[in-house]
Amino acid sequence: MKIYKNMFKISSISLACLALLTATSCLDDLDTEPIDPTVVTAGQFLTDENSALQLLAGVYSNFTLPSQTGPTDSNISGLDAGSSTFSRTMWNLQELSTDEAVWSYENDPGIPDLQRNVWNDSNEFISGMFGRNALSLTLANDFLRSSEGLSINNIDVMRAEARFLRALAYYYFMDLYGKAPFVTELDPVDPTFQPPVAERQQLFDYIESEINEILPSLSAIGQGPYARADQGAAYMLLAKIYLNAEVYIGENRYSECVAACNSLINSGAYTLNPNYAFNFTSDNNLSNEIILGLPSDGLLSQSFGSTTIILNGEVGSIEGNGDEIGVNGFGGAMRLRKQISEILEVPAAGDRNTLKTAGRTISVTSIADRDSGYTHAKYKNITSQGVPGSDRTFADTDFPLFRYADVLLMYAEAVKRGGTGGSESQAVQFINDLRNRANAPTIGATELTLLFLIDERGRELFWEGHRRQDLIRFGRFTGGTYNWEWKGDTPNGSSIPDFLKIYPIPARSLATNPNLTQNTGY
Amino acid sequence: MKNLLNKLIFILILLPLSIFAQNSVSGSVTDANTAMPIPGANVIVKGTTNGTTTDFDGNYTINGIENGDVITFSYVGYQLSVVTFTGQATLNSSLSEDTAVLGEVLLIGYGSVNKRDATGSVTQITTEDFNNGNIVTAENLINGRAAGVTVNTSGAPGSGSTIRIRGGSSLSASNDPLIVIDGLPITNDNAGGSRSILAGLNPADIESFNILKDASATAIYGSRASNGVIIINTKRGSSKTSVQYDVNFGYNTITDQIDVFNASEFRNVIEEQFPIAGSNTNAQLQARLGNSDTNWQDEIFRDVFSVNHNLSIRGAIADVLPIRFSTGFNRQPGNIETSEFERSNFSLALNPKLFEDHLKINVNANYSREDNRFADTGQIGAAARFNPTQAVYDPTNPFGGFFQYLNADGTKIAETPGNPVASLLQRRNAGNVDRFYGNVEFDYKLHFFPEMRAVVNVGYDRSFGEGSDVTDPTSINGFDAGSTINDIQFNNISSYTSLRKNKNLNAYLVYTKALGDFNLEATGGYDYQVFERNDFTTNNTNDPASNPPRLTEPIDVVLASFFGRLNIDFQKKYLLTLTYRRDGSSRFIDEFRFANFPAAGFAWKISEEFAENSTLSNLKLRLGYGITGQQEINQGALFNIYQSSISTSQNVSQYIFGDTPIATALPGYRNQSIKWEETTQYNVGLDFGLFEDRISGSVDGFYKESKDLLISAPIADGANFTNQGFQNIGNLTAKGVEVSLNTDVIKTENVNWNISYNATVIDREITKLAQGSDIEIGGRSGGTGGTIQVHREGQNPNSFYVYQQLYDTAGNPIEGAFRDLDGNGIINSNDRYIRGNPDADVTMGFRSDLKVKNFDFSFALRASVGNEVYNNIASANAYYSLINNQGFPSNVPTSVTETGFVSQDAQIINSDIYVEDGSFLRMDNVTLGYTIRNAFNANANLRFYTGCQNVFVLSDYSGLDPEIPGNSGIDNNIYPRPRTYLVGASLSF
Repeated sequence: MKIYKNMFKISSISLACLALLTATSCLDDLDTEPIDPTVVTAGQFLTDENSALQLLAGVYSNFTLPSQTGPTDSNISGLDAGSSTFSRTMWNLQELSTDEAVWSYENDPGIPDLQRNVWNDSNEFISGMFGRNALSLTLANDFLRSSEGLSINNIDVMRAEARFLRALAYYYFMDLYGKAPFVTELDPVDPTFQPPVAERQQLFDYIESEINEILPSLSAIGQGPYARADQGAAYMLLAKIYLNAEVYIGENRYSECVAACNSLINSGAYTLNPNYAFNFTSDNNLSNEIILGLPSDGLLSQSFGSTTIILNGEVGSIEGNGDEIGVNGFGGAMRLRKQISEILEVPAAGDRNTLKTAGRTISVTSIADRDSGYTHAKYKNITSQGVPGSDRTFADTDFPLFRYADVLLMYAEAVKRGGTGGSESQAVQFINDLRNRANAPTIGATELTLLFLIDERGRELFWEGHRRQDLIRFGRFTGGTYNWEWKGDTPNGSSIPDFLKIYPIPARSLATNPNLTQNTGY
Repeated sequence: MKNLLNKLIFILILLPLSIFAQNSVSGSVTDANTAMPIPGANVIVKGTTNGTTTDFDGNYTINGIENGDVITFSYVGYQLSVVTFTGQATLNSSLSEDTAVLGEVLLIGYGSVNKRDATGSVTQITTEDFNNGNIVTAENLINGRAAGVTVNTSGAPGSGSTIRIRGGSSLSASNDPLIVIDGLPITNDNAGGSRSILAGLNPADIESFNILKDASATAIYGSRASNGVIIINTKRGSSKTSVQYDVNFGYNTITDQIDVFNASEFRNVIEEQFPIAGSNTNAQLQARLGNSDTNWQDEIFRDVFSVNHNLSIRGAIADVLPIRFSTGFNRQPGNIETSEFERSNFSLALNPKLFEDHLKINVNANYSREDNRFADTGQIGAAARFNPTQAVYDPTNPFGGFFQYLNADGTKIAETPGNPVASLLQRRNAGNVDRFYGNVEFDYKLHFFPEMRAVVNVGYDRSFGEGSDVTDPTSINGFDAGSTINDIQFNNISSYTSLRKNKNLNAYLVYTKALGDFNLEATGGYDYQVFERNDFTTNNTNDPASNPPRLTEPIDVVLASFFGRLNIDFQKKYLLTLTYRRDGSSRFIDEFRFANFPAAGFAWKISEEFAENSTLSNLKLRLGYGITGQQEINQGALFNIYQSSISTSQNVSQYIFGDTPIATALPGYRNQSIKWEETTQYNVGLDFGLFEDRISGSVDGFYKESKDLLISAPIADGANFTNQGFQNIGNLTAKGVEVSLNTDVIKTENVNWNISYNATVIDREITKLAQGSDIEIGGRSGGTGGTIQVHREGQNPNSFYVYQQLYDTAGNPIEGAFRDLDGNGIINSNDRYIRGNPDADVTMGFRSDLKVKNFDFSFALRASVGNEVYNNIASANAYYSLINNQGFPSNVPTSVTETGFVSQDAQIINSDIYVEDGSFLRMDNVTLGYTIRNAFNANANLRFYTGCQNVFVLSDYSGLDPEIPGNSGIDNNIYPRPRTYLVGASLSF
């Protein structure tokens, strides 16, 4: 009995000591570190050229992928993963609001008001694009911040590319919303930070100066690896902002546009692909016409944005032409409105007319009726040699964000609008280069008018994400000059107010950042 | 702990004081059964404050005693012994165990308290109050039994439940209560292959549930207590040997289906409605009509038999080692084809007491095995929609002999509706989980300092699940390798393993002391817990487009805490409990890692103020206040939100530079100021008992305010690596009243009739959100990415956010016409308004237990009032145009004939016509039993019973069942709850 007591006296004291000991040592356990090999703390990541390339690929990927964890996850919120990709929201904002396309399934949130031009600041795509595009800013800034001062092979080129991608994101803000949250690598990463706001003029100046500053650091024109921005992409972006400068900042900068186009043309780095269709096949990465493509791979780079949504949308309800397009299709998700079909139907389109008309009305009599309105087969998930892509859902076809044909069209337009440094005869020649390539009749000098050019841009570039910007520049987007079916939510189209040229600042973005103000009219 | 506390209680009960000190007496107190001395027993001269406690050899001496004084001997868990002093020099007493007293002890976390002395709002439910019937998961033992507690379980066999105590205190963080099994807090994160976190528990092993509701009770669990705590206590060994065997058989049947057209109605509807604007031609549909009349829901649902066996043996080995062993087997096929749940349990409890009960050891070791086969609930909706004119089987069809739509040449068509019966039968998605959990508790009363106890509890919970998901090689849902759709057909095959580990150590000291009129109990200790997990999945190994096999290992979650509790009472009438917990969580950065959670509870036993009163047997006022926390966010995340981290992409999400795929690297969302969510709760309660507690009950009023809510809220664009992430922004309040009543209506030798009733009124309101802006939530089907609910300031969480439907003069809804609430001439998202929410305003539970001689008859009812349901079955499907499903004729709910709606768009799907009142009254159970006493010997009882579960639901709701699992209020593809007819027998001896 007594022995036991002493034993317990000792053991309980040691027990108490043990408890205290474990208590203090266990508090250190609260500092946990990631276990999964795919995650490291930021400071440990960037060590060499490979890891820098991975981080840079992360910035690029934000222009076409929704996440790092497959096509159905998204690293932004507010809309479904596929719709949240830059490539799809940008495409929807530039195309669905115009004559070029309708999306058949109006039970998808954000679709009806977007394609009927009655959107407001709660529209899912308008919100999603704002969030996705801003993520490009923070990702590029993070790359610049974490690579600052590191001596890694080719880091200067990569840093210049990150700055290009940031400028590219600001360009879309400027074009779509007229303003942007303005953040650089000097700003904090903090959920409570409320970035200052830059308006169009400031954005224009910033993009222009950034591009000019990074040009020397970028890979030479046409010399960068495919899908990475080189000087060609930089000149292209300059040409774009100069061409639209009247819209953006009310200034005539057409001569600078011509100059930027000349830099691209005279470099000889790009040529028109002899076959128009090969710019939209699953091996279009081989086309020497693509200045900057957003890559897609059915096995390794999957999303429900980019060309995957375009290709599956092309497959028609009547045609069931999945084998022709190279994907299973969504049962007739997209069609063309009558006005663009008419532009594409004329002989002038040549090979660029891939319309499917059999059994269809040219008019989209009802958006829900997938048999009304034409479809087409511009993009294919099949190689130029006829070999199907690697997957029946996810495309191998890259999205041609910037294409050389556009340079020729921009040259012609800038010259026509009074830009110096080029000539109308050269412009006509460029247009006829495109026409010849498409086996379409050539034009004479007198036919080169602005009205001709907007239609020609439609024929050449339709479904490539340019239409809204083009129509605005030609004064044909708002107002009643040019009406297309369902414009203004009427079957035959009606005038819409001017303020719709700029999308509203999303309600959720306004709420989180009081520095933002709503655009006029909303 | 129990013992000491009760000792104090007994001392106080016997207080009324006057001392006439004359003689002295000494002696010993022993256990009547074992003759072992009882240390710490109370020896009191009745009607005085004169008293003492026995030392650790069970001896006592008491002075100042007169002839004729009555001496009481008492000890917790033993019956009181009373002896009149007649001048004896030695007075020994032997006490016998009293089981009735034990039942009154509430478990309150790191200790216990006598129910009469509890200051907090704690509900205890023990075996006799448990729900009857085919109870597969433990939480259903208490569904409807406790005020303020709701349990919502789907019809899937063994499926988990949404348990809410007082409505839930969080928006985006977890609203699940903390569950503690025998001192081991468990995680709400179950292993892959398992149905739910409680599915591994055998309900038959459970002795009691102790539900801590107000903060003065829960704060001892600090950071995890905001949503209440459920302490589950399992059965233990005893000194008496007993054996119990239970068996029951159930017949489970589905009683209701989604109303859709039968084949001939379907043909007629197509004739009448097609061609319609917005759809393909009639001919295309006609071509795909068959000649059969198939009710597809009949084909995927089935009636099943379930069986449940439980055997337990209690006793003591060599009279010193109390032991309980139990084993259980439960087989519960699901009512959807192929769905299965099977569970085997083995449980061992050892409860030895050593060194004259100074050291008590409790060992609980449990092993369970779950075998599951999961059925895709999406096939419920698919069956409602599938073409009723086609037969289930088509012997000529190459895809396993099931009917499937094919091209004319017999090849597969992309993106077609698939035969739901084939989708179920040709897929085997099965998993099994081995789970071990248990704890060892040492409770040592110090020999040299008997007022002090040291308790060490070590707990461990490990689940390992593995499973596979395989389609039949002939299934049309297989994967097409190669470039064209009919190239090469492979089956889908993937497998996974899943591991969850939870290790806990807690140690604390308890000090008990009586000081005059004051009694004091102080508890202080430390708790450490770590959660680990990993998951491995092969993905579809036949599909080159799927990710390669991958092991995911989330960051560990570590919690380290210090806690203390002080119970003081004055004359047993005024009781004060102070608790304090300091919690550290690895989820937060150093600066915000620790938080303090204080609480106070006060009780006044008003009835003690009066002389013995036969009418008012108990009246106690309780006041409680406390702060609790919530830190459970980002379950299973690879890194903590406060850390700056870089993740590399999975195989399918690479970016391609030139010809080289690069695994992208992206920084993750980062919030260095993320910290605890805090809930402050006030509680006022009144416990009462009348007529010797023939009528008893309590009323509680509470008010909860959660601040710094962990909400996944929008972030300023450009400020972080996403546009929405967890932040501490927002406030939520909940207020409510709970009433519970228990009455022994009849209490005679042959007839006993007990009725219990409880009701809860709760109102929750969001009082603050980030920048005051709405958060749209509540994903619904129909269209991609649509939502139906909103979190908005001033409103209940998850309020339905809808367009206001317009009706014609005849009262019929006008398709696509909604009230222009902002009056700007355009109907867009600004015209939505809030209409109701899925929370019930009032919930009620009712139970009647009648025993007449050897018969017993009981039934239980549950009601919910004021909860709204969004009928997503109708909103997503009930449109004529959807009969044309991309060229394939597909059924739609017959409710389309009431609305007449033709086309679906993003507005009509959010029409308020689909938000309905979901109030209901459900009879959960009715049971009739007959007991043969002394069946074949004096101790043997044999009971036969029969019953019915889910007897009826009364509701105005137009859908199947207004009680939506998950409390989401969104009714879509819900696994229906079967009605079960049950027969069973239980034998004990």
